[in-house]
Amino acid sequence: MAYTYLITGATSDVGRALIERLLAAEPDSTVLAQGCGDVEKLAPLIEAAPGRIRPFDVDLSDPYKVDTFCQLLAALPAPTHFVHLPALPVVNTRFKSFDEVRFAKDWEIQVHSAVKLCKAVLPAMSKARFGRVLFIQTSYTLGAPPKNTAAYVMAKGALGQLCKSLAVEYARFGVTVNCVDPSMMETNFLKDTPDLIVQAAAAENPMGRNATPADVVPAMAFLLSEEARFITGVTLPVTGGSAIV
Amino acid sequence: MTEQAILDAVQEIFRDNFDDDSLVITRSTCADDIEDWDSLEQINLLTAIEKKFAIKFKLADVRDLKDVGDLLDLVARMTA
Repeated sequence: MAYTYLITGATSDVGRALIERLLAAEPDSTVLAQGCGDVEKLAPLIEAAPGRIRPFDVDLSDPYKVDTFCQLLAALPAPTHFVHLPALPVVNTRFKSFDEVRFAKDWEIQVHSAVKLCKAVLPAMSKARFGRVLFIQTSYTLGAPPKNTAAYVMAKGALGQLCKSLAVEYARFGVTVNCVDPSMMETNFLKDTPDLIVQAAAAENPMGRNATPADVVPAMAFLLSEEARFITGVTLPVTGGSAIV
Repeated sequence: MTEQAILDAVQEIFRDNFDDDSLVITRSTCADDIEDWDSLEQINLLTAIEKKFAIKFKLADVRDLKDVGDLLDLVARMTA
């Protein structure tokens, strides 16, 4: 079947690795790939798969631009899959220094845009009696979160609850909605995280290292697959054992 | 660089980090002596020290630091 993947945050390390895997495995599938100010990162993938990736430069922190993006999507082949990856990088900050402006922006990027885009894509998925929605969360939402990550875990927590709510509402239409929860993943997303924190997370992980996109993308691909049809509303930890539910 | 010069520079970092211009540290100052000195502030301090002295700590270097004296000795070794 020719699938159409809508992937937001597609320019991230995880997004690009996911696109590469999906297009290699599914010769007929195409990707609608959102980035923000960095869609040139998709160039090597576009060159490798001509005509199969359509990039969109959209600032998801602006709800009006998200609305416009949703209108654009209505004129394109309806996505069969929606993968939502974007977030502002984690900043470890004490609550007394909580940055409300930054939090509001992250909320728009992570949560509000997810709501708007789900509203845009779910009707066609329901009608087709097939769809996959996948959010990337964080192992920080499993059990007690690390200190000083309130903004990040609040937004990720909201995505988790959106996932569960949509899962039960759309299950009877053949649409599954799930989350993957990676532990600290060594990508460009950590650019604002001190090296010592990254090293400490690796040392504390039972597998002795942090996650990589190569660890997480296969789990995502599984939840997006046709054969994962009876799995919905789950949070799949990909943590090397550092967080277990 | 003399130990006193390192101490002076590190004290400035502590004062800036804990937002306290009157803070005075000695070799025996430890996390128990400064209310806000927790694991996050430890990372913030170390990151600021890395920048100030153009050095790069490894986790193994800093895991067993007990007090400011250990920290000064580490910086002295790495800048020697």
